[in-house]
Order: sequence, then C-alpha cells, then structure tokens
Amino acid sequence: MSTCPPYAPFFGFAGVASSMIFSTVGAAYGTSKAGIGIAGLGQFRPELIMKSLIPVVMSGIIAVYGLVVSVLIAGSLDASQDYSLFAGFIHLGAGLSCGLTGLAAGYAIGIVGDSCVRAYVRESRIFVAMVLILIFAEVLGLYGLIVALIMNTRATEVNCS
Amino acid sequence: MGLYLNYYAFGLPSFLVLVIALYLLFTGSGEAFNVGRFLEESSPYMWASTGIGLCIGFSVLGAGWGIFITGASILGGGVRAPRIRTKNLISVIFCEVVAIYGVIMGIVYSSKLTAVDESQLYTRENYFTGFALFWGGLTVGLCNMLCGVSVGITGSTAAISDAADPALFVKILIVEVFGSILGLFGLIVGLLMVARAPEFTAASSAA
Repeated sequence: MSTCPPYAPFFGFAGVASSMIFSTVGAAYGTSKAGIGIAGLGQFRPELIMKSLIPVVMSGIIAVYGLVVSVLIAGSLDASQDYSLFAGFIHLGAGLSCGLTGLAAGYAIGIVGDSCVRAYVRESRIFVAMVLILIFAEVLGLYGLIVALIMNTRATEVNCS
Repeated sequence: MGLYLNYYAFGLPSFLVLVIALYLLFTGSGEAFNVGRFLEESSPYMWASTGIGLCIGFSVLGAGWGIFITGASILGGGVRAPRIRTKNLISVIFCEVVAIYGVIMGIVYSSKLTAVDESQLYTRENYFTGFALFWGGLTVGLCNMLCGVSVGITGSTAAISDAADPALFVKILIVEVFGSILGLFGLIVGLLMVARAPEFTAASSAA
C-alpha cells in the first residue's frame, strides 16, 4: 500500500467532476424553474421582468462556484508530478462539498424564485423579501465553496516517499 | 413512475454491493474486495473509451431532450400565433449547440487514444490519461445534458410568452442565455482536465 498509488488521480478527477456536475444540476434547476415563473410574470407585468431576473443570475453564480472549485482542483492534477492518495481523497471531498451544496442552493433558488416572482406580480413589496430569501439560499453554495477551498489548501501536505 | 422507484433505483444496487462485500468479509476473502486493485487492473482504454462515449451520448441526449421540449411548445403556440415560428428557432439552435460541444470534446478526447501493446500499457501516465478522459467525458456529457434540458424548458416558456406578447421574447431569451452558459462551463472544465494528460504511450524500455 503506497502513499502515491497510480490510481490516486481517479479520486482527484472524481472531485473535479462532482463539483462541476452537481452544481450544474442546481444551476440548471434554478434557471429553469425561476425562468418559468418569470415568463408567467411577463404576461401580466412585462416591466417587472428585469428586476425578476435575480434568481436566474444567482443560479448562474452557483454554477460559477462549481467552476471555480473544479478549475482549482484540476490545476493540481498533473501526470508528471507526484499525486498522493491523500490528495486524491481531499480533492474528492472538496468537489463533493462544493457540488452538493451547490445542488441544494440551486434547488432552493429555483423554488423560491418561481413562487416569489409569481407573488411579485400582485404585490410589489414582495421584492425585498424575495431578495433576502434568495441571498440566504445562495449563501449555502458559498459555504460549500469555502469548505472546498479550505480542504484544498491541505492537499499538498503528504509527500510521496 | 412508481412510488418505490427511487428505492429500487438507489436501494437495490447499494443492497447488492453490501451483500457481496459482507459475503466476502464473512467467508474469509475480505481482501478480494479491493477498489485499488480493481482500478489498477482495469484497462485505461476502458475508462477512456467509456468517457468519450458518455461525453457524446449524454450531450446529444440533452440536446434532443431540449429540442423536443421547446419544439412541442413552438409548434403548439404556432397554431394560434404563426408569427412565432421562425424567431423561436433560436431556442432550438441553442439546444443544438450543446450537441456540438459534445462532438468537439469527443474529437479532442479521441486524439489521445493511441494504440499501445498490452504489456506496456500499465504506466502511471496512462492510468492518469484514462481516468482524466473518463471523468472529463462524464463532466462534459452531464453538464451538456443539464444545459440542454434547461434551455429546452426556458425556450418552451419563451415560445409561449412570444405567442402572448411579441415584446416578451427578447427578455425571456436572457434567461435562456444564462441556461446555455452551463454547457460552456462543462466544456471548459473538460478541456482543463485533459490538457495535461499525455496521450497513451508505451512504457519506456528501461522500466
């Protein structure tokens, strides 16, 4: 059992993939669900569409969180350099942390965005409450990003002997 | 979809894996359950080719799914408002672009597949390339699939909004653009993953 077996990059790449894929699930759900609500709002009050695009923008930000962690992890994967199994599992954990929190955040942004923009048609004071709730949902993804970044800084602690 | 579909889909494979692992453990051959040995013994070509196949497969699945979602709404809305037919083909093109991303990545990944003799295949670099192509292909494929479905749903709502009020189309198109960047992100990550993966090379004669 060596510290740097040749199959260690499997887990590193799994981290890259899970970070990107799961945050994309969340971002895609958020964009589509909120987009349905926005189209519905546009039928009745077209002038409110621009302000209602906030959930869609926030879903895009969730995808960017996943992209950032993916790029960061992929940057430390190199065929010519030593890569320990420790680093592989750390990267897998970081990718899962960012990806699954992005999934949760995207789902929350989608459902909140959809129902809040539908309410915004009837009551314009809903807007501030909507933004507050969306911020709390967005920050879930941010927490995952922070944990992923913290984990990633520890990945180079183990050297191949 | 049955009430217990998720239980079957996630519970049954997990249960089977657990039963096999416990059987091996209790009959004294627990060492046989060795993930590391499986990863070392499986051919890098298997990983690489599976990744390329999933890349193009999932991308085209997403593109087709998005096209039929948006196409159904365009055709339905076009019955009462024929003016929407040509303008809403943009949504179909957005979905098609996702399939093009899958084709591009499939071609880029395929350039790494060089023939190496079985006895000289199992080097550290070849393992790296195999895993990189597998996970890269899976990333590109699934991100493109999600992007295609998202663009399809949004394009469908754009078509129906356009049928109701022509001024709405451009505004709902903004949401569609946000959906289509997801496929682009998948493409970027897929390219970054294999950028430093060397193509399959035979083991050097000194080894």
